[in-house]
Amino acid sequence: MVNPSDSALASGVNASQSSKVYRWAAFVSCLTFPLIWLGGLVTTHDAGMAVPDWPGTFGYNMFLYPVTTWLFGPFDLLVEHGHRLLASLVGLIAIILCFVARKHEPRRFGRIACWLLLLAIISQGILGGVRVLLDARVVALIHGCCGPLVFALACGIVMINSKDWKTAPKSIESNSLRWSLRILLVLTIVQLIMGAHLRHALPQWKPSLFLSFVHTHLLVAMLITGIIFAVFCTVISPKFRGVTGLRGPAAWLVGLVIIQVCLGVGTWISSYALPWQELNEFFARYTIDGRGFVETMIINGHQATGSLLIAGSLWLLCRVERRYVAAAAYGAVPAQVADATPRSLVR
Amino acid sequence: MRFAQSPIHLLNLGNVSLLICSVGILAAGCSKPSFEANRLAAASFLESQDQQKVDELAGSVGELVEQVFGPPDAPKWPENAPTAVDMAEVERCAGPVGRAYDKVERGLYRKHCVQCHGITGDGAGPAAALLAPYPRDFRRGTFKFKSTSIGSKPLRSDLVKTIEHGLPGTSMPAFGALRNRPEFEKDIESLAEYVVFLAIRGEVERRLLKRAVDSEETPSLEDAKRVAASVAELWVNASANVVEVPLIPDVPPAEYAASVERGKALFTSDQASCFKCHGNEGKGDGVSQDYDEWTKDWTIRVGIDPASKSEWKVMKPFGALKPVVDRSRNFHLGGLRGGSTEQDIVKRIVLGIDGTPMPAITVSETDPNAFNLENVFDLARYVASLTGVKPETEAATDSGTANSAKGAQ
Repeated sequence: MVNPSDSALASGVNASQSSKVYRWAAFVSCLTFPLIWLGGLVTTHDAGMAVPDWPGTFGYNMFLYPVTTWLFGPFDLLVEHGHRLLASLVGLIAIILCFVARKHEPRRFGRIACWLLLLAIISQGILGGVRVLLDARVVALIHGCCGPLVFALACGIVMINSKDWKTAPKSIESNSLRWSLRILLVLTIVQLIMGAHLRHALPQWKPSLFLSFVHTHLLVAMLITGIIFAVFCTVISPKFRGVTGLRGPAAWLVGLVIIQVCLGVGTWISSYALPWQELNEFFARYTIDGRGFVETMIINGHQATGSLLIAGSLWLLCRVERRYVAAAAYGAVPAQVADATPRSLVR
Repeated sequence: MRFAQSPIHLLNLGNVSLLICSVGILAAGCSKPSFEANRLAAASFLESQDQQKVDELAGSVGELVEQVFGPPDAPKWPENAPTAVDMAEVERCAGPVGRAYDKVERGLYRKHCVQCHGITGDGAGPAAALLAPYPRDFRRGTFKFKSTSIGSKPLRSDLVKTIEHGLPGTSMPAFGALRNRPEFEKDIESLAEYVVFLAIRGEVERRLLKRAVDSEETPSLEDAKRVAASVAELWVNASANVVEVPLIPDVPPAEYAASVERGKALFTSDQASCFKCHGNEGKGDGVSQDYDEWTKDWTIRVGIDPASKSEWKVMKPFGALKPVVDRSRNFHLGGLRGGSTEQDIVKRIVLGIDGTPMPAITVSETDPNAFNLENVFDLARYVASLTGVKPETEAATDSGTANSAKGAQ
């Protein structure tokens, strides 16, 4: 059963209080995305071990490392130390978020989510440190996989503090859309893991293992694309005419998946070229620019868009779940609590 | 119900289970990288697919080679062998990627090359199976694009050129961008040193395997050192095998057109026989298409038909990748791997491409059966005309016209 106070709060008792959490959570999300981008750059440039120690930087306190040496020193040091500093900032903002949530977030699960986010960010930091101290690519892989999940969690907190979450009415009966989105979320995470394996492939791997990861990555990509298009067709169908708040995120997902497929092809070409070089003049003449700017941006863009797809899938799933269970949850709310909630918010 | 309101449980469950899966999948791949014994060569020399026999031979020789050259994280140069590589640079390229407190970057090979060429330099890195052509297996000691004669070792400058400019239409990137940053500017030369180290190491291993099969006894450490010295000697003396390639002269447009016509006639003549592989029109569709030497080593030379899957498959457990025909170039697409200028084409005609069916031709001004220089220039101009490369004089005229047009504007 729903805790009455939770339910009342979940329906949004005080919008101004919760909007503070919303803003801080949005701030964390906005900082986490460039952090993921920077982390991707660390992998693309194999800069994970550009600094041999942790939590210090070449024996310095991380925050006291000379700025000029950082900014004008080796490129891999610039990227790795920058990643660490930005991660520290994200951690700091997450701490503030937790305190803001403690004071202003009346919902228990909302507060737990914030603390969970802080825990996840700290764990990510420790994982990054362990990767350096052990010089283990496997840990780098896990660190790389968890980054987008932390970003998705931050986006999820933004979502549960958004106006939509608090005001969405029950408007969906269909279970198939929920399950499609649940499967989509799982698949985007599986895809993240597959992609991370391809990016962090260990040198001692046999070609057959890498090949199987590539095939799985392609298969999951097809499934994700299919599901996103199916979801989009569903939410724009006449059956969902009266349901608001789904078309936008679904359209975003369609846009993202199209970009992602293009970036995926681009990533392969800029990493390994096409195996059919005699396809046309362009491929026959194309020489990969190792560590080139365009190549790096394509590869990083692919990884970053993958993170957005996970967050986008979660976002849409939250909206659908909310529209599915809202009425059921509210149905359990005692009359006096429901009455205490502004009608505009309940609706 | 409460769970249904909170999306967090989805993340929790997903996060934890995926982490467990990920760790599980990776557990098998956590071991420290090591040089792999050349089992494919062992199976080829033994002409046997008996796993135990092959592993025994490859393992014993592999251990010997490791004693002489060290493991991937701590390479060493064989005692008494002439110095063929700069070991300081080799050590900088070897081992895991990163910087120590001295801020010197290490592990360059694993940073830039290992995904395709593999730890051992066997051309069987994780991504190898998906690439066409396959990454080069350094262990044969054979390199395609060089300034030395067929069968000789390349110069450092040849390897540096390939690393710096890459190979168009292949997965070999151009690492020239490294020169743009002072901290990476010497990385290309360092990588070339490490490639030579791996090539020497691999060739020593192959020779020892051959010797072990021929003499039916495992070579000793002293044998290994002697072989290492002889292979290193070849690299030290590589410059003695440089072939002077004459410069192709600029000619007036009328003479150029006649030269191209003569080249075309030569191309389709039985004397040059270019058409047999490259096709009558240079589209790479000639009747004679063959495999490269790396493939022939473990297929045709040991009685395996590379075109028959049931036959070549027996070598798969030893690390063989599916044999692929080394198709002749379609000149119309351009992007020649040895370089697309007329001078580069002259060089390829004179020197050939080692390890492939592209032969080196004999140039003589006195022997009526051999090609003379003019023939070579005619052929080069014809091939260049197919790729769309303009002669320098014409290109200069074009740019001059363009410049004067800009000036006029």
